[in-house]
Amino acid sequence: MLHGKSLRGEGIFSGFSMKQISLLTLLVSVSGVSALLADMPPKKIALSDFPAAAVQDVVVPVPSEIFTVLDKLGNPNWKSQLRDGKAQTPEDRARTALLLGNVIAEGFVAVEAEDSERVKELGRQVLTLAEAINVRKSVIARSKSITDKADQRDWKGVRAEFDGALQDVRGAMQELNDQDLSQLVSLGGWLRGTEVLTSIVQSGFSRDGAELLHQPELVNYFDRSIGSMGSRLRKNPLVSEIRDVLRKIGPIVNEGGEDISIDQVKIIHDLTHGVNQQVVNGAN
Amino acid sequence: MKFSNPLPNRPRCLSLLMAVSIVTVFLPLRLQATVDDALSFAYEAALPYYKQGFSIRKDAWGGDLGVREKKAVSSQLFKGNDYWFLMATDLKGASLSVHLYDDKGNLVDAESWQKGRFAGARVSPKSTGTFFAIVQILKSPEDRTPWALVYGYK
Repeated sequence: MLHGKSLRGEGIFSGFSMKQISLLTLLVSVSGVSALLADMPPKKIALSDFPAAAVQDVVVPVPSEIFTVLDKLGNPNWKSQLRDGKAQTPEDRARTALLLGNVIAEGFVAVEAEDSERVKELGRQVLTLAEAINVRKSVIARSKSITDKADQRDWKGVRAEFDGALQDVRGAMQELNDQDLSQLVSLGGWLRGTEVLTSIVQSGFSRDGAELLHQPELVNYFDRSIGSMGSRLRKNPLVSEIRDVLRKIGPIVNEGGEDISIDQVKIIHDLTHGVNQQVVNGAN
Repeated sequence: MKFSNPLPNRPRCLSLLMAVSIVTVFLPLRLQATVDDALSFAYEAALPYYKQGFSIRKDAWGGDLGVREKKAVSSQLFKGNDYWFLMATDLKGASLSVHLYDDKGNLVDAESWQKGRFAGARVSPKSTGTFFAIVQILKSPEDRTPWALVYGYK
């Protein structure tokens, strides 16, 4: 076991007299516990003390981080959230990457709906789309596991495989120096996940549910990511439209999480639904 | 530095790299290697939590810091989940810390621990939003210490 003694985030010496503290300080200085004392975190810090260079970017949550919370919020009608049909593989690589993320997120919906046939179909789609952007090899095993675990109705296992597929695809793209497409896969997953989340929150509005949309840094991060993409991708009409959508969503989710209203949830839903339609079907 | 693949490929074409100066090539390679090693240690620190049912993300953060230098790592966390952040270095004799703050700068550690080259902090967010893991090198035998940070949730 690697753990040291668990430390609370408050002053652990508040109940000691000065004499005891002096004695303790002496002991500490000779007993090698100084590192422990050095790790007394302040209760409050000024985040403004951290310049941009001292702040590392947010890691995009995987869908199961949100679905795990949704599990605890109730039992929505997941079947009604499932999208019909099978999307054709686009020729546009940007749209393919977005669709791949979208399909992986859809896999989570199918898992929640416990629809094993749909899960298997989505697992196959993941493979097809990954092939179109040269990362098929990274998800062959995942795709097979998705099918096997769906047959066994091992829903937790299927979730883990979809999560793994998303991370493996992104990892493979980064190895190919395709950082931009990798970001689009994440973005595609986030867009579909947000569409579904807003649909569910609308149908049984609760503040706890709406609060899940409080993702200001994440929305800014996606916006910045598009801004730093190569000009060809940045000017891709669909990518450009998604950036517009992010800029409309940003101010809404920037408010305190508990203040997001049902009307605002609907706005986010309509915006994400609109671009997801284009991701799946191509330009209107 | 943020990396998604726990063990990214080393540059494959060494002969090409050798055409560039030793100074500009060797040091980054060494740093990359040690950050990869730090990541292996971070995953080792995460193992007990994996066994407790936490899903450990493959995505991770990493880099190198000087003694007492701090870095903030931003993260989107969701109310309703429980999170462990685990930090490590491969550098023997170094010690480091990680603590979690909300977007107002308030310490939100539910618990934390620090043991030599490993450290961890847990949070059960009271609200959904952006949080910051503040990582720091407490002591080190070297000027720069490679570090890596992973997190798990359930």
